[in-house]
Amino acid sequence: MFSKALFKQSMKANWVKWLSATLSTCIMLAIVIIVLGNLGINNIRDSLKAVFTQADQQSYLKENVLDSYDIYLSSVGLENTLQTMDAGTYQTAYGLIVAPYVDAIDQYRQENDGAEPDETALAEIRASVVETNAPLLSLGGGTIGMSFTLEEAKMFLNELYLTYDQNRFTPDDQLSTNMANLLRTTYLNLIYTNAYAQAQGQQGSTSAQAEYSATKMRELIAGAMDSYQTPEGEFDESLYKADALANITTMMRDVTYYTYYNQYIGLGFSNEDANQKANEYAIAVKVIADTTINTYELWLAELTTDESGAPLELTDEEMQSAITQARDEATASITDQIDSEVAVALEELGNMDIYGLIVGAIFFRIAGLLMPMVFVIMTANSLLAGQVDSGSMAYVLSTPTKRRTVTVTQMTYMIVSLFAMFALLTITSVIAVFISGGNAFAINYSEILLFNLGAFLTMFAFAGFTFMCSALFNRTKYSMGIGGGISIFSLVCTILGLFGSTIVPSAMRINAMNFFNYLSIITLYDTVSIMSGSLSCLWKFGILLLIGIATFIVGIFRFDKKDLPL
Amino acid sequence: MESIIVAKDLTKDYGENRGIFGLNFEIKKGEVFGFVGTNGSGKTTTIRHIMGFLKPQKGSITVMGLDAWKDSCEIKKYVEYVPGEIAFPDLVDGTTFLKAQAELLGLENMDYANYLVDKLQLDPSANLKRMSKGMKQKTAIVSAFMADKDILILDEPSTGLDPLMRETFVELLLEEKAKGKTILMSSQSFDELEDVCDRVALIFNGRIIDIANIKEIHNIGYKTYKIEFLDREDYLKFKKLKYEIVRDQEKYSQVTIKIEDKNLNRLFNTLKNYKLKFISEIKYNLEKYFKDVLAREYQKQEKENKLENMSLRKVRKVIKHEHKKVEKKENLEEKNEKFFNKPKVKAEKKENKMHKKEDKQVKKILKKDKKQVEEDKDV
Repeated sequence: MFSKALFKQSMKANWVKWLSATLSTCIMLAIVIIVLGNLGINNIRDSLKAVFTQADQQSYLKENVLDSYDIYLSSVGLENTLQTMDAGTYQTAYGLIVAPYVDAIDQYRQENDGAEPDETALAEIRASVVETNAPLLSLGGGTIGMSFTLEEAKMFLNELYLTYDQNRFTPDDQLSTNMANLLRTTYLNLIYTNAYAQAQGQQGSTSAQAEYSATKMRELIAGAMDSYQTPEGEFDESLYKADALANITTMMRDVTYYTYYNQYIGLGFSNEDANQKANEYAIAVKVIADTTINTYELWLAELTTDESGAPLELTDEEMQSAITQARDEATASITDQIDSEVAVALEELGNMDIYGLIVGAIFFRIAGLLMPMVFVIMTANSLLAGQVDSGSMAYVLSTPTKRRTVTVTQMTYMIVSLFAMFALLTITSVIAVFISGGNAFAINYSEILLFNLGAFLTMFAFAGFTFMCSALFNRTKYSMGIGGGISIFSLVCTILGLFGSTIVPSAMRINAMNFFNYLSIITLYDTVSIMSGSLSCLWKFGILLLIGIATFIVGIFRFDKKDLPL
Repeated sequence: MESIIVAKDLTKDYGENRGIFGLNFEIKKGEVFGFVGTNGSGKTTTIRHIMGFLKPQKGSITVMGLDAWKDSCEIKKYVEYVPGEIAFPDLVDGTTFLKAQAELLGLENMDYANYLVDKLQLDPSANLKRMSKGMKQKTAIVSAFMADKDILILDEPSTGLDPLMRETFVELLLEEKAKGKTILMSSQSFDELEDVCDRVALIFNGRIIDIANIKEIHNIGYKTYKIEFLDREDYLKFKKLKYEIVRDQEKYSQVTIKIEDKNLNRLFNTLKNYKLKFISEIKYNLEKYFKDVLAREYQKQEKENKLENMSLRKVRKVIKHEHKKVEKKENLEEKNEKFFNKPKVKAEKKENKMHKKEDKQVKKILKKDKKQVEEDKDV
């Protein structure tokens, strides 16, 4: 079934083709991986990405500023409410909020023979009271001028009971003052907790920084409440806007300075440098905060007053939408200012892996397949059809060599030469990736091995197909025309289909071109799936393998039965 | 004697009356069998069947009792083959090719190959692609003969060889024949076949028309002489003698006579007393034999009108070709002249036209020049 002599003959006849295809592809591959890898081809992509990240950060900062602004003003409003509430309302509030907790503690004392509950017992009591009381508060908060969602109510109550434990009082003794103080302190504690959580959620911040910024926030709000003086007539929050602007921007500056100063010190900068750099950032942030609040106010004024400056009569809904719009305008980042489709395209471009595109989609699927394909087409033809057409097959078949032996030997040569070619390519690409920085690099070893395996299986399928054509036809022109023609057609379809595939960013993509991908079996060589790390490429590889095996077998059986013009 | 190659009703129809139809022949052990026929008559197709490259549509062909299609690999152990078309595998030079071929044959001893190389004066170190036709043919012959197997299948093996080398080759064939090998060869050359073969089959339009036995042709039992007399009297006198006159040309005082071998002495005794201008023997050989056969075949086919019009036309053409040297020589020559002159006339006409065109162009250019000169003057 196998003839060593014939195998040697095929090697002698085809080694030049093999060598040129292998060397040229290896060189191309090495250039693509090493040179492009060191050129920083992803720089543009990285800077685009930086633009988008910065825009996100700025917009986050702006939101933060406006949130603080809202809290500042509403805190003053809260102070006003607390100061103007009558004793009756405090009584109700005590009954609704504090009394269940006091009762629960009393009950504990009774059950434990008058012993005071310790820390853990208190925590248990607190949790159970919060659990039962929160729904009531979220439903009936309106009666004392507060409205909460269930979650907010839980948080509020928990914080309130903690505060109450620090300074307990009885309902008979100056209830209004005590209640007002309790509510005020609880509110400030909540602000502190929120600010702390938020600051800690930010990337790269330490707990010291979080503590600092939370403390700053608390100071700010406490200051705002302290500054409240009983106004004549109705409460007007516009009176505090100037203060809010000045205090918030100052606070932002301080927090930023503190954060960056510590960061730079941590990075080993000198005191002076750290001071200078942190200052620059702090001022920039202050400016952004200032601009944001001003923009917000200007938009709000524009939307809620008429030309003469008199306020428009607006429903609550209209007012709400005006506020939202003003907020949006004030927090708009660079990405919000461009057309949404362009923004999507730019963002995609920022996320696109140009290196992966060139190596995966262009090199391995197109450029890297071309030379092996030319080798396969020419060799498959010269192994059978070429020899039948010229008549040189007569010399082999006039010796005691079976046709089956000829076809099996030639198939073996075809597969072995392809395997050797891709083994060399794999070695070249692994070395190239190693030179370019190994696994830390854009393409890792497992990906490069899968790329090579896929390319080999694709060429295996083409080898089978062209071999079958070579076995079916007695004339080179038909074998080359049909076997080679369809193979090249597949490759060209893949080139055209590239412009319709999802690897290309939407700015350059023409969806209709994706049709070409359905005409080519190279589509089964799914480099996108390899790059995204999914396993769907494996069953496609299986199909390629089956195509190759089936076509080889058809070719071998057909060659046994046909007439040979020798 | 044992039959080595047996064809029974072997048929392969390629349509349009091409192919081979119901061939029957047997080749005995040690026999040299020849195939002769016009181009496309089916010689190569028959040989390809023997080699198992083609599958018979009908009938069968066996080699040493083995079916040529089914057991083609087994048969190759006894058969060596020189193909009609010489195209070598894609290898560098003759030596490499012969070595590769020896490896495929499982041949280790190259002594006989070297003997053949010397005998045919072949330089096997030459580049395969740059070899002349004769060199290629010699290489092919060496690659086939070197295995020294029992059966030789040769498809026009002497094409491309120069006349001297052809003689050497015939010598070689006779050597092989002396070893008791069975040989089947096709050829265009009657002389070659006559020199080597025991029997020769004439294939015509895919059918074996006749199988000639060379010995019988050589021992036909009579001879034909053409005699021209110097004197008219002698001529008239000779005609009165009782010799069988095949052809009589009064104008030149020429007779062609057929005489049995045993009466030869009588003829020469008679001729002693006559003044002759010349006497020459008209040899009876394979070529003449087959010409006669073909002519008969043609007549028969035309009479019976068995073949379709298409093939009749073909038959006529062949016959015309065969007879043109003898009977229709002048006619054909005339026709040929006309035929070959036609394109000449056309070419002449073309040339005239070209000349006229050129003249016109020259005139135009001259006119232009004149105009320019005048304009220049005006300026």
